[in-house]
Amino acid sequence: MIKILDFFDYAKSESLWMAHLCTGCCSLEMAATMGPRYDWERYGYLPTPTPRQADVLMITGLVSKKILPALLRTYAQMPEPKYIVALGACSFDGGPYNESLSVIKNPTEILPADVFVAGCPPKPEAIIAGLEEIKKKIKAGIPSAASQGGLWKEMEF
Amino acid sequence: MNKIRNILEDFDCEYIENYKRVWLKTKLSSKDDLLNVAQKLKIEGLSSLSTVSPTDFLEENIMEINYFFEDLDTKRNLWLKVDLPRDEKLCEIESLTPLFPSANWHEREAFSMFGVRFLNHPDLRDIIKSKDFEGVYPFRLDFDWETHEKDIVNNMNKIVSSFKKEQEENEVDLDTDSSETILNWGPTHPASGPIRLRVHCDGEDIINIDPDIGYVWRALEHLVTKKDFIGAIVSVERLCFMDNINSMVGYAMAVEEIAGVEITPFAKWMRVLLGEVARISSHFMGLGGFFNNMGLHTLAMWNMDTREFFLDFLESYSGARIATASVEPGGVRYGLDMTMFDELQKALDKFDTTIDEVEAIFVNNPTMKLRANNVGVLSADEIYKYGLSGIVARASGVKTDIRIDEPYAAYDELDLKYITQENGSAKDRFVMIFEELKHSVDIIKQAKAHIQKAVDNKEMDPTKDHLVKVPKKLPKGEAISRVEWARGEVLMHLVTQEKATSPYRLKMRAPSFNHTMMLNHLLKGQTLSDIPLIFGSLYVCQGDLDR
Repeated sequence: MIKILDFFDYAKSESLWMAHLCTGCCSLEMAATMGPRYDWERYGYLPTPTPRQADVLMITGLVSKKILPALLRTYAQMPEPKYIVALGACSFDGGPYNESLSVIKNPTEILPADVFVAGCPPKPEAIIAGLEEIKKKIKAGIPSAASQGGLWKEMEF
Repeated sequence: MNKIRNILEDFDCEYIENYKRVWLKTKLSSKDDLLNVAQKLKIEGLSSLSTVSPTDFLEENIMEINYFFEDLDTKRNLWLKVDLPRDEKLCEIESLTPLFPSANWHEREAFSMFGVRFLNHPDLRDIIKSKDFEGVYPFRLDFDWETHEKDIVNNMNKIVSSFKKEQEENEVDLDTDSSETILNWGPTHPASGPIRLRVHCDGEDIINIDPDIGYVWRALEHLVTKKDFIGAIVSVERLCFMDNINSMVGYAMAVEEIAGVEITPFAKWMRVLLGEVARISSHFMGLGGFFNNMGLHTLAMWNMDTREFFLDFLESYSGARIATASVEPGGVRYGLDMTMFDELQKALDKFDTTIDEVEAIFVNNPTMKLRANNVGVLSADEIYKYGLSGIVARASGVKTDIRIDEPYAAYDELDLKYITQENGSAKDRFVMIFEELKHSVDIIKQAKAHIQKAVDNKEMDPTKDHLVKVPKKLPKGEAISRVEWARGEVLMHLVTQEKATSPYRLKMRAPSFNHTMMLNHLLKGQTLSDIPLIFGSLYVCQGDLDR
């Protein structure tokens, strides 16, 4: 029985689909990661235009106040199990926009991320390495961070 | 120029002076004259209003409005200032939108950020800023944004509830018997990125489109005032990542003008070289985006492949692929190791081997021509009227290119030509990006050969010549600089105060703002399937749209 469950975790981890939601500049490097040189499809990742089929939500850099409700709604529409990758400095503490009056400084306190990828913007290799971390978490059966807590549960969106 | 001067002399001006080669600078004594002056200027041929930029002088209790008029044909420009009282109730002036439709969104922006009311504006609503700033003006110097920030939960609720309310009103307003509906295209459509188009349509036919922008608003113009002159390049560069270098060049030129610093020839040539590399990297994304929006991803993938080689050069030069921060006031940040040119040569070789195939398969593609010809046509008159620039303007046959009109860096020493198309349709704009791409590679080859030769002759020292010292404290002054950006004209208006360590005000006029303004005009009466195509052909980037 344990073996079969392991197999499901393995299957889940090897075909991660991304909800295609660009909120900031890091999406440019995400596009490069899809490109021929880095080609993330060889790792089983695929961008999908609808959140209903997605396993992973990428917070691509900055989250402005105006787009936060859309981000939360996209997350809510995704089926379980779902994971979050936060790209770049902005998704951690606002990064270069830390003093800006229109940017959410702590998007991952609202929507906790499972993996942070550092950089401004992170290089494509780093993005792939971050996604590999998610694979390890799924294989180890660790529940996603956002299902455990976060401000998003109390917010209206 | 003399004709414009004659017009201005009829009115009560504080001064009229020449500024740079193609500009005239003046200040009107009274705001009541504005409409009459504008009318005469329009008849004289200054038919585009580039931007409207308020500067808030808290101590003097003055709101100074800067208008930048341009004549794309004869290359005469006018910088006109008017003082308004700063008090929110009295801060109002006649709108120029009825005369110059290009002012429409720029005046809305000035209203949203500074609370300047434009009388007789056809549609003076908030733009860009989110709903929690309703009724307050975030760029005014006495706005206390730290207190505003503390109430984040309440602010978010305001944003959410206003959006929900709008959706409910949509359903009430429309006639239930008809097939009319309001469709939200966005906030994040895979074909566009973060922008929301409120499409009012009847079945498949579009009745009108109201773009709702500001989803990546970072308040960059506010952010730079909190940093020093070097630190501000981090914000300026993030105007748009696709062509970051040219925006830094524009900002650096403005700072150098106020500081009175002349940069070295080597730095000038490096600015050309790096700028064109960034332009190419942007054009590759633009070309790919156009075909993506038509439903074919192959070109985007091919372009991404070639683009990587150009990014390799930027990485070897600055250490970063995209956020290079490699241009700063005083020159360029790093010296050049001449072996880096091998990296650039690799990119140029890769470009030469692939470009013919791209031309044969995509640019001469019969399906693309059938689909995109005669769609989204912009006439030359509309280019003048709506203040469009860059490849969109040139695709309609308007000869405007700031690299030639008002040369900066080392562009005056290069062999440049206007590249234009005739019809101004979506297809022409696509072909235009492609032709520009080839032109940029040609410029890089010229610049590379020039630097190589000068270094060989010991006229330039690539390890030492790159940077001239710019003082940390700048005198009181103001400057404007224009650069030809990948998408069009970027105009930077920089104001500093006495012994300034950081910019007092920086206005960045970005081309995508005007191009997005055209969406309603172009798409009215078309069908829903034309939205991605026309949107893609306008070559819009949300980064510089929202700033």
